[in-house]
Amino acid sequence: MIFRTALRNLATVATVLAAATAAAEDTTGITDTTIKIGIMGPFTGNASSYSKAEIGLDAFYKWINDQGGIHGRKIETVLEDYACNEAKGIASAKKLIHQDKVFMLHGNSCSGVAIAIKPTVVEAGIPWVVAHAVNEKISSPPTKNIFHGVPVGRTYGTVMGNFVASKPGTRTVAVIQHSNDWANSYCVPAKQRLEAARIKVPLELALERGQTDATPQVLKIRQAKPDFIIACLYEAETAIFLKDLQKYGMDAIPVMGTAGTDLENTLKRVGDPQTVRNYYVPHNYVDNTTGGRMKKWNDIILKYYPNETITGFSAISMGSGVAVVEALKRAGRNLSREKFIAEMNKIRDFDTGILSGKITWTPDDREGVKQAAVNGFVGGKPTVLKSWGQPLFGG
Amino acid sequence: MRDRRLFYVVPLLALLVPAFTNPYTQFVVNLMLVYILVTVGFNIVMGYLGQLAFANTAFFGIGAYTTALVMVYAKLPFLLALVLGAAAGALAGFLASVTALRGIRLYYLAIITLAFGELMRWVYIHADQVTRGTDGLPVPVASVFGFALDSEMRKYYVFLAIVVLVVKGTSNLLRSRVGRAIVAIRDNEFATASLGIPTAQYIVLAFVWSGFIVGIAGGMFAILIGRVVPESFGLIELIVQFAMVMVGGLGSLAGGVIGAVALTALPEYFRRFPGLEEMFFGALLVLILLFLPKGLVSFFARYLPVFREPLYRE
Amino acid sequence: MFLQLVVSGISQGAIYALVALSLTLVYRATTIVNFGHGDFVMAGAFVVYVFVILAGMPFLPAALLAFALLFALGLAIQRGFIEPIKAGPHIGFAMMSIALGYVLRGVARAGWGREVLPMPRVFDFPPIFLGELVVTGESLVIVGVVAVLLAVFFVVFYRTRTGKMIQAVYQSERGAALVGINVRRFHCIMWGFGVALGAVGGVLVAPFTLLHPDLGASFLIRGFAAMTLGGFGSLWGAVAGGLLLGIAEQQLGAYVSTKLIDIAAYLVIIAVLVVRPVGLFGRVAAVRV
Repeated sequence: MIFRTALRNLATVATVLAAATAAAEDTTGITDTTIKIGIMGPFTGNASSYSKAEIGLDAFYKWINDQGGIHGRKIETVLEDYACNEAKGIASAKKLIHQDKVFMLHGNSCSGVAIAIKPTVVEAGIPWVVAHAVNEKISSPPTKNIFHGVPVGRTYGTVMGNFVASKPGTRTVAVIQHSNDWANSYCVPAKQRLEAARIKVPLELALERGQTDATPQVLKIRQAKPDFIIACLYEAETAIFLKDLQKYGMDAIPVMGTAGTDLENTLKRVGDPQTVRNYYVPHNYVDNTTGGRMKKWNDIILKYYPNETITGFSAISMGSGVAVVEALKRAGRNLSREKFIAEMNKIRDFDTGILSGKITWTPDDREGVKQAAVNGFVGGKPTVLKSWGQPLFGG
Repeated sequence: MRDRRLFYVVPLLALLVPAFTNPYTQFVVNLMLVYILVTVGFNIVMGYLGQLAFANTAFFGIGAYTTALVMVYAKLPFLLALVLGAAAGALAGFLASVTALRGIRLYYLAIITLAFGELMRWVYIHADQVTRGTDGLPVPVASVFGFALDSEMRKYYVFLAIVVLVVKGTSNLLRSRVGRAIVAIRDNEFATASLGIPTAQYIVLAFVWSGFIVGIAGGMFAILIGRVVPESFGLIELIVQFAMVMVGGLGSLAGGVIGAVALTALPEYFRRFPGLEEMFFGALLVLILLFLPKGLVSFFARYLPVFREPLYRE
Repeated sequence: MFLQLVVSGISQGAIYALVALSLTLVYRATTIVNFGHGDFVMAGAFVVYVFVILAGMPFLPAALLAFALLFALGLAIQRGFIEPIKAGPHIGFAMMSIALGYVLRGVARAGWGREVLPMPRVFDFPPIFLGELVVTGESLVIVGVVAVLLAVFFVVFYRTRTGKMIQAVYQSERGAALVGINVRRFHCIMWGFGVALGAVGGVLVAPFTLLHPDLGASFLIRGFAAMTLGGFGSLWGAVAGGLLLGIAEQQLGAYVSTKLIDIAAYLVIIAVLVVRPVGLFGRVAAVRV
């Protein structure tokens, strides 16, 4: 009898203890008044123009603080620069996780570095929202704690390929790209999409970073006379390529770019509307980069970073920022990493007011944004299109 | 001579390091160990042999890719892969020495070795069927005698053992007749040859040894980062490695160690000022070159005789 | 297509020639190779940008001012950073020039790093059509300016007293000093000219390309390749090497593979140093023992 009571007591104690340890959730990076978020970006180095995304994100979090924070807590951002370098990236990630002990990681523009960091993040179990880098290997296959807050390369490539295919009479396409993983993440899925649509790619050209002239490439295009060109190039090289196309009279051929450039700034760089009249880019936002629906967000960036020039990168990370804040709010005052991840997994068709695609995250699918539109000049004005000649808004 | 025993104490003390580190600082320490080998190797050719040979990143990359490739495709264990990486580095060193032997010196040598490094990088990028190009080659987790090196601490002990062995071996080599011959060649090649010393053999030896060491460093780098990408072995990397040698002290083994440690740790502090790191780094280099041209080691050598090396340039 | 590539090759090559010439100038005058030269080219472009965009100056005065400013910079660098380490090994100079270039790049990055900067259209000459050939306005401008600069340079070098002084110092520093030429000041001035001339290359490409801090690296390599091809230390060789390199890059890119354009310079370097190390116009240097 005593024995049975003792056993029952022991069982109760054990259950309580087990429940207690299970309830001991991870609250690293949270204090009564702050939530620490680590933002990694390439603020120096030759990819520094991409850090505009992290700047935008930082401005957004500062604005959230000025709006009152989340359940009485302000967001404390810790910015780390990794110059698009793997060793620095791993050091930054480990520093944020083990030394600064942040609550979560948000940011990252460089895919290569993100992939190098992934094992460290997975091991630490810290929530990580990738808000600019596009390589799908980061978030697929899904892990417990990694979320992708922008369309992945496959999505962009499909959008690009679809748009090219939607132009009637497109039979051959020339592809020109940098020989790096960034360009591959767009151009490889784009080529696959074209292949599926039975469109031939007879010409594949390389134009590397830092080259100031594209004459050999354009002359080869002149020989091949494709119906469309896909260009996976950075901002400077895109402008040079478009100018050279015009130089040799090839500018009637439409060019599909990547989400690495935007129409307004390309026009500024090239300086001549004629040169960009046939240029198209995948477009993530609910409006043009400087359009009315984006004004609120651009103003937020300029409020905290008044010297910043708004480009197509500036607001891209803010989209996932809106979703993160929503999840933090839903998790309530008793915040923990587990609760946060649970809330993130419940985000469905969430309209961020910034990204044109709605965000959905589930435990089995962490590629949050599956959709993008295309931006092109129609009548001299940047217009969001859903396919060739078809605007997204209105007729 | 008695002072030299101090150098045996350092590795023993080093065994205690993981007690004071978190995974971030441990990672930085591991990176330092890799770069100690890089600078030691670079110093052999630049400091002791006195040649302006910028092939270091080539050796580094060849070592890293070879180690990674045999681990991925031939599924070889890490230590064996490391040896192969070192051998590949040595072979590259041999190739580089051929140009030096043909009388190509000074700036010509600098430019052709630079070209060699960049050419290798182009190969890494475009041989992407094998190397996965710019996407990077993921390196499987290394394991040594059954222990998986899956934490920074475990990597540390393996790296420490390798570095101590290699540095000690190099130190012995440099203090032997081989080292003296190499330095003699640096100071006056024709005079040395006229003494009957086979300068060609020693030049080749210096390059091969340098390539061997830096190849080992490359293999270590590969498993430390877990991913081998072509961009890691470009001109920016070369500048950083060059700076480590110069800041630490050209032609000094201890200097190489100091330079590697200093220039791996410092950028971590510079990161506090995002956007200004390049300026700080460049300014630091300029200041050291102006005021401490023999490198940081000369500062220590003034107060601690143990740092003075007999073959160090006057 | 071949001729078109030659035309664009000459236009590209003209800039390489300028960079190579300015590198050679400094090398011949001081036996130092300026490894940071690419960043001075970039600095030239950025300085012009600042004057044109931020100060609103028209292009030509801005270009001249940039030349003057970078000349002064070259003087200051020689006096402040190169002269003090004169006694050290050559390796020290290499590192110093790299470090200075790095600082310049850091300054550019700190000031404008996240943006890619366009310059407004400066020269708007319509292209000339010679049959199938397109000769663009920018090609004309670049080749024209470079040609004029080169002409002026060589006239000064071979015909004037200053030129004779320069040649004297080239041939023998000690002899020149004995004849009363201030060799130290000469070194200083030549650094100024070398940097300024290289910066002109940057000023010329600025209106036609986009400015970012890493602009310089590729020019440095092309400069080296041109110098190697033409014969290290030969002034004519630098010009010839630059033009040939420009043409070779374009031809290689179009006829073999566009992937080779990036490493054409390296291939040239290795090919020349293996086959004929003295280059086209260089002379075998006798080594003094």
